[in-house]
Amino acid sequence: MEASELELFRRGIRHATETCGDEALDAALDELGWRDALVADRNTAVSLLFEAQGSTVVDSSALDWLLAAALGGQDGGRTSVVLPLLRRAAPPGRVSAGRCEVHGLGTRTVARADETVVVAEADGGPVAFTVKASSLELRPVRGLDPALGIVEVTGDLNAAAGRPVDWEAAASVGQLAVGHELVGLARAMLELARQHALDRVQFGRPISSFQAIRHRLAESLVAVEAADGLLAAAWEDPSPVMAAMAKGLAGRSARAVARHAQQVLAGIGFTTEHPLHRYVRRTIVIDQLLGASSVLTRQLGEDVLERGTLPPTLPL
Amino acid sequence: MELDAFKVAVDAWLDEHERELACDYEGVGTLDQQVAQLRKVMGMAYAAGFMRMGWPERAGGLGGSNLLRAYLGEVLTARDLVEAGIYSLPEVLAPTMIDYAPEALAAEMVPKLLSGDEIWCQGFSEPGTGSNLGSLACRATHTDAGWRINGQKVWTSLAQYAQRCVLLTRTGTPESAHRGITAMFIDMDSPGITVRPIESMHGAEEFCEVFYDDVVVPLDRVLGEVDGGWSIAMDLLPYERSTALWHRASYLHRRLGQLVSAAPAGTLDPTAVGEATQLLWAFRARSRATQRRLAAGETLGSETSIDKVLVATAEQAIFDLVAEGLGPDVATGDDPVSARWRAEFLYSRAATIYGGSAEIQRNIIARRLLGLGDDR
Repeated sequence: MEASELELFRRGIRHATETCGDEALDAALDELGWRDALVADRNTAVSLLFEAQGSTVVDSSALDWLLAAALGGQDGGRTSVVLPLLRRAAPPGRVSAGRCEVHGLGTRTVARADETVVVAEADGGPVAFTVKASSLELRPVRGLDPALGIVEVTGDLNAAAGRPVDWEAAASVGQLAVGHELVGLARAMLELARQHALDRVQFGRPISSFQAIRHRLAESLVAVEAADGLLAAAWEDPSPVMAAMAKGLAGRSARAVARHAQQVLAGIGFTTEHPLHRYVRRTIVIDQLLGASSVLTRQLGEDVLERGTLPPTLPL
Repeated sequence: MELDAFKVAVDAWLDEHERELACDYEGVGTLDQQVAQLRKVMGMAYAAGFMRMGWPERAGGLGGSNLLRAYLGEVLTARDLVEAGIYSLPEVLAPTMIDYAPEALAAEMVPKLLSGDEIWCQGFSEPGTGSNLGSLACRATHTDAGWRINGQKVWTSLAQYAQRCVLLTRTGTPESAHRGITAMFIDMDSPGITVRPIESMHGAEEFCEVFYDDVVVPLDRVLGEVDGGWSIAMDLLPYERSTALWHRASYLHRRLGQLVSAAPAGTLDPTAVGEATQLLWAFRARSRATQRRLAAGETLGSETSIDKVLVATAEQAIFDLVAEGLGPDVATGDDPVSARWRAEFLYSRAATIYGGSAEIQRNIIARRLLGLGDDR
């Protein structure tokens, strides 16, 4: 994208995520040409939108669109994709004896999508089935973050018409998207805490003057920038290892920032009168989408120890 | 020369001269051996032209981007030909001279540093001046014969080997704080200089106390403006957190790789290994972005404090793993390989202390990057 075009796009995305969410945000993204941008410049389209979604705690169908496009189906524009259960990054379905058993999660898009893609592990590698939403059982989940509108998806499908897909590549792009959303959440939580620290006066001075507060906030910025830097590097080398590493760190960073922000915001941050709780809820849930940070981090360590070598280094 | 061509040329040269360039000692070596190795490698790389690339022609360099310097240090460290910490000292000292010394002095002196002919040191810290650099007291008095220096410095790396020193002195009143500091370029063989190496916890005498008793420095050896030394220090500190840290990451990468292949099965917690790996990769990603900004002509500032916090955190995470996975070697191994792990584990404890402590970096981040205002 040209610099001027990019700036317009950036502003459009920011405005859209600040003013609407859910279906209205889908419409706004269509108007902004987000899906065309996804084809032309995936890195920019994904990083801008998902960080913006994180910083405003809104959601859209973008994750479904992104995964559907990465799985290479004919996208009529109303396709959703069944996600793995929380913590897991493996496909949500399993093929055996001519049937495909499905147990996963969906964004709220699943309920209104024309078609849903289910990816399943099979003997010859992952295969995808495109099915009507009506052939799956959807159970709305409230849980920690009811605003996210997650559904639990179960089903038992005829496994005849599966097409081979590169699930790992699609999941990697999904991990980067969720990673950017976590960075957006973390930046926003840091900003809420920073502003509170400047405003809140105790012992006759703003609490931002106390080193205990300052160092928590500094630590938070280090965590956010580390995650953001690794995500940017992962786009340059979009391998599954890099994507998992970047999402793992983004999740750990966002959780760390959530802890610091909660402590700095103290009493007011514990109420629902302050927006912090929405960010904390969203962080804990999406950290676990497409592989929880704890799982991805441990897996990285296990792989390194098993092979006795490190992943490919980042070249200058 | 572009980076890709430079990489190919350097790698080929290193392969060709592998035997001559190699260390002639096993394990960590003595500081004498490390310094001799450093001078040998720098001398050869200078003669081959590589050591001059990325430095301006007016200071004896061959021009080109800072990325060339970053790569040379990275690969020399990755191949274990130089100790990254002492190799990177010119990354702060040479820019000081290039930016602030009279042109002829920089043109004369910088090549001596880059070629390994000379070792230079940096006299900033004092016994009463650790984190609070603005309180330094080493006095420089203006006389007809030159500046007369009296005072003491500490933590001066390699002072016992150094021919020159970039010294910060107090030229204003004691109360002038950061406004009354002047930087000078000193010959270490000047009468009145006494160097006393300090034996550090990791077993080497890398750091020294340096005493200045009526040392006379010619008036034309002032760097920048009289009483303008604070801005020099502030301009230079980001350099200490850019290319030098990229070199350090190369060292950490080599050691983490060696650790995961050497640690006996079951001794390392996979989660801790994953965390350390993520941190090191995040640091490299960030440091690479810093290198690219520098190459694009941007001025580095307080944001490099984030790089410093990250690399120190990664270094300690990695060597905490060393102390687990190779715990017995670190604790009781007397062979050269174990002694090296031990020395480097101990050295890693200082990663959050030297070059601006972790607390000072967080103070900078809080004030400059987060806009939290004064801390009092």
